[in-house]
Amino acid sequence: MTLKTETSSDSQVLPFTTTLTRRGFVKMGGALFVSFAFPPGFRAQTAENQASLQTNQLNPTLLASWLEIRSDDTILMRTGRTETGTGMSGYYAQAIAEELSVQPETISLIMGDTDKTPDGGYSAGFLSGMANVRKVAAYTYQALLGLAAAQLSVPIESLSVVDGVVSGGEKRIRYGQLVEGQHLDLKIPVTGGFAKAAPGKWVGVDGLEGLTVTGDPPMRPLNQCKVMGTSFPVPGIPDKVTGKTRWSCDVTLPGMLHARMIRPATLGSTLISVGAIDKKQFPTAEIVKKGNLVAVVSPNEWEAISASRAVAAGTKWTEWAGLPGSENVTKTLRAYKWNTPPESRGKRADVTAALANATKTISASYEQPYVRHAPIGPFVAVADVRSDGSVTVWTHSAHSQGLRARIAYMLGSTPEQIVVRWLDQSGQYGRTTFGGDGAECDAVILSQLTGKPVRVQWTLQEDMMWSSVSPAWVSDIRAGFDANGHITALHSLFYSPHMMDPRPIGALLAGMPCSASEPGGWVATEWVYDKIQNRLEDVYGMPNLGAQTASGGLRGNIMRTPGQRQQNFALEGLISEAAAAANTDPIQFRLDHTTDERLINILKATAKAAGWEPRSSPHSQARKTGSTPVNGRGVSVMLRENAYWVGIAEITVVPDTGVIHVSRFIIGGEPGKIINPRQFGLCMKSGVVMGLSEALKEEVTFDKSKVTSTNWDRYKILTMEEMPEIKIVPLSRDDKNFGGGSEGANAVCPPAVTAAFFDATGVHARRIPLTPSYVTTLLKR
Amino acid sequence: MASELTLTVNGAKQVVSAAPETPLIFVLRNELKLSGPRLGCGMAQCGSCSVLLDGEEIRTCITPVSYAVGKQVTTIEGLPAVWALEQKLSAADAAKTLHPVQQAWIDEQVPQCGYCQSGMMIAAVELLSKTPNPTIAQIKDAFTNKPPSPHLCRCGTYAAIIDAVQRAAKAMNARSEGMP
Repeated sequence: MTLKTETSSDSQVLPFTTTLTRRGFVKMGGALFVSFAFPPGFRAQTAENQASLQTNQLNPTLLASWLEIRSDDTILMRTGRTETGTGMSGYYAQAIAEELSVQPETISLIMGDTDKTPDGGYSAGFLSGMANVRKVAAYTYQALLGLAAAQLSVPIESLSVVDGVVSGGEKRIRYGQLVEGQHLDLKIPVTGGFAKAAPGKWVGVDGLEGLTVTGDPPMRPLNQCKVMGTSFPVPGIPDKVTGKTRWSCDVTLPGMLHARMIRPATLGSTLISVGAIDKKQFPTAEIVKKGNLVAVVSPNEWEAISASRAVAAGTKWTEWAGLPGSENVTKTLRAYKWNTPPESRGKRADVTAALANATKTISASYEQPYVRHAPIGPFVAVADVRSDGSVTVWTHSAHSQGLRARIAYMLGSTPEQIVVRWLDQSGQYGRTTFGGDGAECDAVILSQLTGKPVRVQWTLQEDMMWSSVSPAWVSDIRAGFDANGHITALHSLFYSPHMMDPRPIGALLAGMPCSASEPGGWVATEWVYDKIQNRLEDVYGMPNLGAQTASGGLRGNIMRTPGQRQQNFALEGLISEAAAAANTDPIQFRLDHTTDERLINILKATAKAAGWEPRSSPHSQARKTGSTPVNGRGVSVMLRENAYWVGIAEITVVPDTGVIHVSRFIIGGEPGKIINPRQFGLCMKSGVVMGLSEALKEEVTFDKSKVTSTNWDRYKILTMEEMPEIKIVPLSRDDKNFGGGSEGANAVCPPAVTAAFFDATGVHARRIPLTPSYVTTLLKR
Repeated sequence: MASELTLTVNGAKQVVSAAPETPLIFVLRNELKLSGPRLGCGMAQCGSCSVLLDGEEIRTCITPVSYAVGKQVTTIEGLPAVWALEQKLSAADAAKTLHPVQQAWIDEQVPQCGYCQSGMMIAAVELLSKTPNPTIAQIKDAFTNKPPSPHLCRCGTYAAIIDAVQRAAKAMNARSEGMP
């Protein structure tokens, strides 16, 4: 039986094509399986994809791919995207429940395993993942209505559904009953494909978005939602709290070896000789090496650790000193011969003319050193490379299919040979979004060499020296004013090593193929100041520092709110300086430069919550000397992925010691419809902690040859005591779809804090982190 | 060289074979298959590996297993039993009751990635055993200044942790007052 759902409705022809097929009857149970159909014209890529589907992808002709409605009324959703810690697993369940008119508790999720999930896609790409999930559920809902209409012999228009029970014409039937005893297969349309290595192109992997569900099935209007907009508990939390969660660090396999890596002495060292193992002391430990990749393995983890320390002490590496030293980063970036910007936005001629004609101009340079993701748990992975060439990897990567593509490329193999299994682990904050970085390639190489499953656990020092980093940058901005102090033109130039190099260190050190990215930069700001008529943004990129080494040097990678975090800091810094130059209240100054109603609303709401009294900065009591605290306040805004953010910082500075204390932070966020108010509030608060950490403390330091900030005493992050009182101002609206609500809160903190610093001291701080030593130097100038 | 060591972990006697200097975390995780304590810094700088040793928080990444012999080791897996014993709960009640700290961590939806949270809950249990009604300042002080290091959370869940500690305190005090 084939039911075409677009013919099920007499009133309209729906602009999508799905097919619902009855494959047969089953004795027990029964289910509706939702899989996908590639569109016409997808043939070339489909053939290849179909080949992979036969081996370790789900085969949509045989098995459910995406969603299953089962006869016991439970629902199973499979998605290649994962939980990164900000609550997506809850949001996905809410979206499905909303479109299917069921309770979210009835839904279970399988996430991230490449052999159990069909779609791929990076976990950070929540908005596209959300759109997919909603459409899958919405198509399924239409198919279920069609089934119910046939079963109950009532017109489809007369049906309504509550908690998975379809009612119409005095009759009722559960979803489970509709599928009972049957194997139904619903095919829905998609575009896209699976992630594949693409050396030299963008980040080095294509198909990062995975599959995209196409068409336009009817979906619940956001103002009629019953599940989205409620604080459904994020799944998985009780297990994390009670110790039931199986983390990726918990994976053990029969015959598995524990490995500790012995890394080069410097970022550019090559191996001279490996130290010896004292077999009396370490009877089960073995050295494994390939190129500059050296490890010690043992079935006993402590023996692997102890032996690796002994071997490391006797291992010789060449000297190398090709880094400028972190204290010289800005100078190095300034001295670099930048070519034309790889990316620009705006009208160059108009901006040049407007700046030339301005009544007054101001300009400033902002900068930040290298910072890093710095999870609490260092990278860990388990790999099992079997003699037939098949590979299984257990990971916490935020992009399972991207990782699979990179491993396949490294091995000269095909993605079909590789299965990536995802498990919870320490947050990654962007560094695994492109499927790279991490311990997975170390584990694969060692497993291939030893013929046994291998678990690689990095140490904190190793993670802080060898994982990718968010690069240092400098930005020059110039603004022109008219006679009323209104900005007429703005030109920003942003310079940075590129932040799209997620090549795994294991593959690099072993000298195996790595799918390299394309160095460059991108304009990341989203513009809210529509009354500034003329603007121009130039973004310049350069290779990694130390790029010529075998390790790739300081591999730049994206980190939470990438690009925009940095570029918006410079932009908002200048807007605050411009407000001060115009002798205008900084909130009023922002309002004067926008007609964006959404920004105006959240800015006013946040200002009100803060008890903001209009006045210009600096404060009348501002001072740059003294041993007693002086107060200041500052504001910043940001638009990112359809979400508007406002940060207001209230700080005290002790000028003589340079110690800054953030006493209160008020954060406003309007991400369109808020899916889960409680979790949104939690993410706002935690984002403020991360943002203040960056504003006040974080800096990757390095000498001429290696990273030196390799533990928590040297790479300092915000502690609980340093966290201010945080007040949240969440604003939900039903008419603007969904925005990125998990990420972004961090990025409004640094410019709000530096603005508050100016308010307190009358001195502009154009560099973060505002450490006591930097602050005292700044105030003594 | 490996020795036979007898440990008491979550109330049960366990005989393990390990070199005495092996950090406790590797014995708990690899021999006893407890995933609550997780390896973070490996040098007592972050707190993600914490357990209770006779009711006091220790960092298992630097504590030799031999040091735990003869003492009571409690991981988050064992917290419900600790609470059940303290409250003299029936077996039926104990089976469905979490430690109030764990319940508060769920109710306040504290974990994001959750990696550090075992250590955070261990620190909370210890704090509440000594300071049943901590102020926000006392909570911040305990999680920041108690040696050997602050408890670090990179996801930034500190505000939720404070709320959860205060919620747990309320639940534990109510229960204690209600006891005959």
